[in-house]
Amino acid sequence: MNKLELSKESMSLRWRNITTNYSHWLSFILLMIVAVCVNPSFLSWNNLTNQFVQGAIIGICAMGMSLVITAGMIDLSTGSTVAIISGLSVYVLNATKSILLTMLFCLAMGLALGAVNGLLVTKGNIAPFIVTLATMSAYRSIINQLGQGGPFTVSSEMYESFRMVAAGKTLGFPNLLLFFVMITVITSLLMNHVKFGRYVYAVGSNELSARLSGINVDRVKFLIFSYAGLLSGLSAFLLASRLTAIQAASAGDGYEMDAIAAVAIGGTSMSGGKGKIIGTFLGVLMLRIINTVLIMANVPPFLNGLVRGIIIIIAVLAQSKKKNK
Amino acid sequence: MFLEMKQISKEFGPVKALTDVSFSVGPGEIHGLLGENGAGKTTLMNVLSGTFPPTSGEIFIDGKKMEHMTPRKSTMLGIRFIHQELNLCNDLTVYENMYLGEEILRNGCLINKKEMARRAQEVLDGMNVKINAVSVVSQLDQAQKQLVEIAKALLFRSELIIMDEPTTALNNHEIENLFEIMRALKQQGVSFIYISHKMPELFAVCDKYTVLRDGMFIQSGHFAEIDEHGATELLIGKAFVDANLKDDSCSPADTEVVLSVRGLTGKTFHDVSFELHRGEVIAVTGLQGAGSAELAEALFGASASTGEIVLNGRRLKPVTIRNAMRSGIAMVPCNRKERGIFPDLSIQNNHSMAGFVIRKGMAVHEKVERQSFEGNRKKLEIKVDSPKDPITSLSGGNQQKVIVGRWLETDADVFIMDNPTQGIDVGAKYQIYKLIVELARQGKSILVFSTEFPEIWHIADRCIVMYKGRVNGDIPRSSLTEVSMMAYSTGSNLEVRR
Repeated sequence: MNKLELSKESMSLRWRNITTNYSHWLSFILLMIVAVCVNPSFLSWNNLTNQFVQGAIIGICAMGMSLVITAGMIDLSTGSTVAIISGLSVYVLNATKSILLTMLFCLAMGLALGAVNGLLVTKGNIAPFIVTLATMSAYRSIINQLGQGGPFTVSSEMYESFRMVAAGKTLGFPNLLLFFVMITVITSLLMNHVKFGRYVYAVGSNELSARLSGINVDRVKFLIFSYAGLLSGLSAFLLASRLTAIQAASAGDGYEMDAIAAVAIGGTSMSGGKGKIIGTFLGVLMLRIINTVLIMANVPPFLNGLVRGIIIIIAVLAQSKKKNK
Repeated sequence: MFLEMKQISKEFGPVKALTDVSFSVGPGEIHGLLGENGAGKTTLMNVLSGTFPPTSGEIFIDGKKMEHMTPRKSTMLGIRFIHQELNLCNDLTVYENMYLGEEILRNGCLINKKEMARRAQEVLDGMNVKINAVSVVSQLDQAQKQLVEIAKALLFRSELIIMDEPTTALNNHEIENLFEIMRALKQQGVSFIYISHKMPELFAVCDKYTVLRDGMFIQSGHFAEIDEHGATELLIGKAFVDANLKDDSCSPADTEVVLSVRGLTGKTFHDVSFELHRGEVIAVTGLQGAGSAELAEALFGASASTGEIVLNGRRLKPVTIRNAMRSGIAMVPCNRKERGIFPDLSIQNNHSMAGFVIRKGMAVHEKVERQSFEGNRKKLEIKVDSPKDPITSLSGGNQQKVIVGRWLETDADVFIMDNPTQGIDVGAKYQIYKLIVELARQGKSILVFSTEFPEIWHIADRCIVMYKGRVNGDIPRSSLTEVSMMAYSTGSNLEVRR
């Protein structure tokens, strides 16, 4: 009898594990059903790919944010990083006339700015919140000064070819969708099949245990910020291509908040140690779908933020409930 | 006060901390509560003081049933709890700490500092200790902090004082002082529950005893009716006392030196030198604050030190964790919950962490990970449902075995084990002792940091005793007794010489 009770207990434990581990799928499917009910044409190919295209640029940032948060940290500088790089990338493009060089510039610059965050957090021993709050303000200020209120505009001779990076299609799929999916796959591989990924979870779960297991915690943190910066650089490149005219003050504005929201909705614990890349992927899509549904349902656009706020709270509450049980 | 606890059970998730424990204390009685680490003593006391409710069971005080006990309520009833861990705020003064949460007020709102300092000083003077009530706690040493913790309980009129290992940092003189105070209060009808691992103390001051083992009530009675050997048998089980883990004939002192430490100095220890031979088990012990805990960390490179650490003839330089691991040192840290486990990760992932750091290559091979865990699961008899369950679903003993397995994977020559049996049941303890002896037989060298004599006696070839940051004694197994160990760790051997 005792054994029976025990197996019952472990059954319920396992069931709880399943619901915890796949809650992001559950909420994603629920949301899809709601969307289809509001407007059956939601499932059209055009609309579905459009969700990806709309979400891709923030989605790529969210992948970096996912690592940062899983390690128990935060990055507020994402939006400003995207803004400064995309603004400068237009300069580079106009000067070099090379899309490839522009992309390399964006990636290198992203890596460098991420590394600055990482260095300040590790060598400077300053809390990530404070470091990235400071760099957020600094980067935005630099690009505002360089722009002097006007936009950074791609010169007319590069306009068409550069625009097609983001607007174009490959094998019938929008390029933005492909970029987003590719980065998701790479990040997922990194987190699940490379030692580094395991260290990220370890640092987020218990930093002291990680240190005493021989993990170089500082190096892990530095690499996380560098990776997040790299992805912000890619994101900035795609944004510049999509808009072809970058407004210093508004480019990338609020990206960090959207990225954090996507990570949270995707089931990553804000205190670190727990979370899945696929969750963040679905989180990004869910944010887009919510937007689309609200538009389709004729909710006044000013109330968009309210609904999103409520959904974020519900999503995170649901997770913490499960944890406490 | 007449206290009765009836059939108390307490479960933390899947872990049963207490099962049907009954316990009673009469007025003016000093009651010794005995049990190894993890036997459930602290849990029982936390139930009594209302820190958390029992899963089932009843508490009666003076015949009246107590419902929904809270810390506040138990304080009102005159129950005072001197906790094992020091709960002092380092940046506040002694008297502010003593009155924390129960400040004396002037005109109903302002804190009356003068009055508080005066009364606190009165209590401290009454205890015959030289502590200034207005000094800041961070300036005190471990022993003084422990005394402040005790003074806190004496500040108010109480009926029942619970002391959870109050003497871990005190020397003989201070302990004797404490016993005087306890005896005087006992005359006034105050009851005590006294928790300690030190047999001589229990026999000196307590009237009655109750023994817990693995969360269960074992026996209760008068100290006058048993001797130390009998008490130890009750404590850890007869079979366990008789078990002879150590083959006394082997004397590893003539094998080659694996680890040699010369003049190691850190923040709280000075000029520590010793040699560890192949296949040798050395226990390092000392009172709280004697520097042994920091020494364990320093040997593994987890905290800074100067001096030489030479492993297999090669000097470790610089002394970092990674370097220590690569040259063949492993450390099972103390305080598993805070320093050992990754609560969000699965059992298998917890197990493989140190091996990952050591091994070359970037990829994670799930299959290798599973196989290495399976190997250690059998060797250490770890009870798991699925290696993918979270580690927090395991009992303390099994968690600790996973952590030990983590370090076996690094194939080290020297194992540092810092309190390896903290908070685990007797069965798991025994298995860990067996493993330590077995590792030594295979030619590994082991440094066990521990404060429990029965544990040290079971496994150690010799015992290094620290006192005030220095090595005060190096006792070979042949002359290892609890009395000799206590003499070295309280520094009383130095007093005699003077």
